[in-house]
Amino acid sequence: MPEIKVTPLGAGQDVGRSCILVSIAGKNVMLDCGMHMGYNDDRRFPDFSYITQNGRLTDFLDCVIISHFHLDHCGALPYFSEMVGYDGPIYMTHPTKAICPILLEDYRKITVDKKGETNFFTSQMIKDCMKKVVAVHLHQTVQVDEELEIKAYYAGHVLGAAMFQIKVGCESVVYTGDYNMTPDRHLGAAWIDKCRPDLLISESTYATTIRDSKRCRERDFLKKVHETVERGGKVLIPVFALGRAQELCILLETFWERMNLKAPIYFSTGLTEKANHYYKLFITWTNQKIRKTFVQRNMFEFKHIKAFDRAFADNPGPMVVFATPGMLHAGQSLQIFRKWAGNEKNMVIMPGYCVQGTVGHKILSGQRKLEMEGRQILEVKMQVEYMSFSAHADAKGIMQLIRQAEPRNVLLVHGEAKKMEFLKQKIEQEFHVSCFMPANGETTTILTNPCIPVDISLGLLKRETAIGPVADAKKPKLMHGSLLMKDNSFRLVSPEQALKELGLAEHQLRFTCRVHIQDPRKEHETVLRVYNHLKGILKDYSVQHLPDGSITVESILIQATAHSEDQGTKVLLVSWTYQ
Amino acid sequence: YRDLHTFELQAPTRLIEWACGNRVCVAGYGQSDGNEILQLIPPPTLLTKEAQGLCPERDFKVECGGFSERPVYSLKHVPDTSLLVTSGPPDSSLQVWQVSAEDSDVIRSVSIIATENGTEQSWAKIATISVRAPWVLHGSRLDRVQITEVESRKNVYTADIQGKPNVFIFGKVEGSEELSTLAFLDCNTLLLCCATGRLCLADTRQPQSLVEAMSVPSAPCTEQWCMGTRHGAQGSEPSSQPVARLSSRGLLTLTDLRKTSELLALAKARVPSPGSGAEFLCVSWAPALEGYLAISGFDGTVHVYDTQGWDSSGREAEPIFVHKGHAFGGAGGSGDPPLVTVHTWHLQKPRTLLSAASDGSLHVWDWVQPCGKC
Repeated sequence: MPEIKVTPLGAGQDVGRSCILVSIAGKNVMLDCGMHMGYNDDRRFPDFSYITQNGRLTDFLDCVIISHFHLDHCGALPYFSEMVGYDGPIYMTHPTKAICPILLEDYRKITVDKKGETNFFTSQMIKDCMKKVVAVHLHQTVQVDEELEIKAYYAGHVLGAAMFQIKVGCESVVYTGDYNMTPDRHLGAAWIDKCRPDLLISESTYATTIRDSKRCRERDFLKKVHETVERGGKVLIPVFALGRAQELCILLETFWERMNLKAPIYFSTGLTEKANHYYKLFITWTNQKIRKTFVQRNMFEFKHIKAFDRAFADNPGPMVVFATPGMLHAGQSLQIFRKWAGNEKNMVIMPGYCVQGTVGHKILSGQRKLEMEGRQILEVKMQVEYMSFSAHADAKGIMQLIRQAEPRNVLLVHGEAKKMEFLKQKIEQEFHVSCFMPANGETTTILTNPCIPVDISLGLLKRETAIGPVADAKKPKLMHGSLLMKDNSFRLVSPEQALKELGLAEHQLRFTCRVHIQDPRKEHETVLRVYNHLKGILKDYSVQHLPDGSITVESILIQATAHSEDQGTKVLLVSWTYQ
Repeated sequence: YRDLHTFELQAPTRLIEWACGNRVCVAGYGQSDGNEILQLIPPPTLLTKEAQGLCPERDFKVECGGFSERPVYSLKHVPDTSLLVTSGPPDSSLQVWQVSAEDSDVIRSVSIIATENGTEQSWAKIATISVRAPWVLHGSRLDRVQITEVESRKNVYTADIQGKPNVFIFGKVEGSEELSTLAFLDCNTLLLCCATGRLCLADTRQPQSLVEAMSVPSAPCTEQWCMGTRHGAQGSEPSSQPVARLSSRGLLTLTDLRKTSELLALAKARVPSPGSGAEFLCVSWAPALEGYLAISGFDGTVHVYDTQGWDSSGREAEPIFVHKGHAFGGAGGSGDPPLVTVHTWHLQKPRTLLSAASDGSLHVWDWVQPCGKC
């Protein structure tokens, strides 16, 4: 029985270091290669020794696919390809390819420079790793080799995030990466066609969460910003240059317009030289609505949001500044933070997860006295707020995706085991498919029913569909025919046609059986006795006594003869045809 | 508002019940099977006193879930146990569920408490208490009220009101009067409210005695009533708390159980008429504020009233606050406007309420006292 084997090396029943190994029809694919943000030691990388103990990974794996640029999905990629060793192709979407190296380099800097780690990948390794990357477009079928093909689908979540379909022959697996089913201001919702994969691997981070409505979060965010600005304070929002930042810019721009506010909003980015490149990438990946609205203007041109200059940080009066990098660990956002931290009228709003060791992480944990370079202590009096606008699918979204794709089996990753049993039952009950939740290192085997295409002769099809009830798309209909296998082709034809092609005549089978009965009388008396008996008990059937002495019951023939050696025994010959 | 959070459930609920550990239970009431019973952990913002605007955890988490074959109209947590009791059409039997949050997140069906049923479609109203043992008070009609011990399913008490001498009821008793709300005042005293508005007190030690409290002002027979009771501070007499009754026309009566011969207060709420039926009528007292109650079930709003200062004149009362969120939320213009199906007060935060509507929305809101009052 053909099977698909799935082994999570990370994110099995756990959030972080996503890495899933899939074995399908002899091909081995690695899905994502993430870093666990909560650990400082080897536990932060997936356990690659599981793949093969001593063989070369390049020989074993056919390809690696990365779903999006978040570090818990691509953070271990340079380590994997350069330090463990892999030279095969790595697939990802264009925006992911553009943004990944930046995040990896950033992360490397924090880990090595700030935390002083030694066994970590270098900048050159990141560059070498990216050379192995093949970028793909949405809905483009990419032939990895003669049998293996992959296709990317839009996943929402962040810029460039994709869900991937991996197909070998007629077996397929769809991996979702992180996705969300509700569109937001700058990204659309995930979408997939009714591809009916044998297996759908879905993330379930927010499956057990009922989320506060986006409107409430945004309203609270705007309220905080407004209050700070009204009392003359400054708001710092550290962001990564693209993605969530655009969302918030659009939000603030609309709010400022509506409330007719005058305080300046600034956007600073250390990536101005690449801005145009990203802009082009961005426009194809963004929300349909945005594209229509901003067809006249550049995404980086807002009426109320201006480019930032370092000197502005010292200006008196209220202002809002978006600055990079996002975790306050270096660069401009840290500089601005140091200037503003001492004033309690000011506020810093952290947009998302901050890695341990960064200033962002420290202040979110409640630390208010920070040690800076040169043993300087910085007292943080400004207000620290955290907001999470991250987009993941909840239980309703997961059900929606399953409804769209119609998989035969579902496998859940990225959640916590205990809490997924309810969801597992829900999926099994609603869609009548099996649902699996393996732990790290645990292999799940899924049996597939591959389809073998067979040509059917038109005559046979017409004949079979004419008999019996009308064909129903939901119920399989049983057909009779003869299967002819010649070379590599399979054909279904009517039996007569098959015989003709093969030059065979149809055989008629007749069965006979001899029954011995004790009866000393003459043969014709035995026959009469049998005839009367049968006529008496088989009232619904046609029983006839023919002139030649034989009895027929429908098409069954009975004849009586005397036993050759014993006159007291009669032999009844009973014969019938194969109907 | 001081705070407003809106959430969307996958299926609308007509109950919001508090369970131990500050958990909230909701359940689906759709006609097909596969209704979910969910036990939710509220976001930490609801558990702390200070308002936190951008707290990282702002979401409800589904702690456990179960599947019910029938629509769930009523759910009560059995105190001091990890059991839930639910009821719903087509008959008045009860379903008992086990919540085992540690080893799995599935709410399992444990047993059924069967009752003898009449021919009509009905469902049991329920109330629970755990003083001598975990008990559930249930029944769909006045003459079918019983108390059953939850774990053993043994019957402990059955109301017996047909033609017995110690029954003090004014006017004609229809034994088959439908019940709308039941409550335990303490482990011996029951409060039963019929859909006609008739309020009866029963003593479990004397099954044959039923005392009727004040009846309601005569009204068209299509008017339906429901009741809300309040537990006072620890140690106070249960009957010292006034009992509120709400009618589908918007009439509110307050009754002091120690003086049942007269109404404590009578007022009229400003509600749209004709009303949208009595299916989701709900009235409840604020546990942490003296004299405040809330009503819902007429439209997409929840009204909060201060009953101090009400008299028995039946005048129209002004609500202190009206929550209109459900009427505005969600996809506008698609079908009927949402109807608030249930509301409940937060047990500790004095001005926080939770309300749910027929479009699946769940709101948690905290209202501000208008200026001029303290």
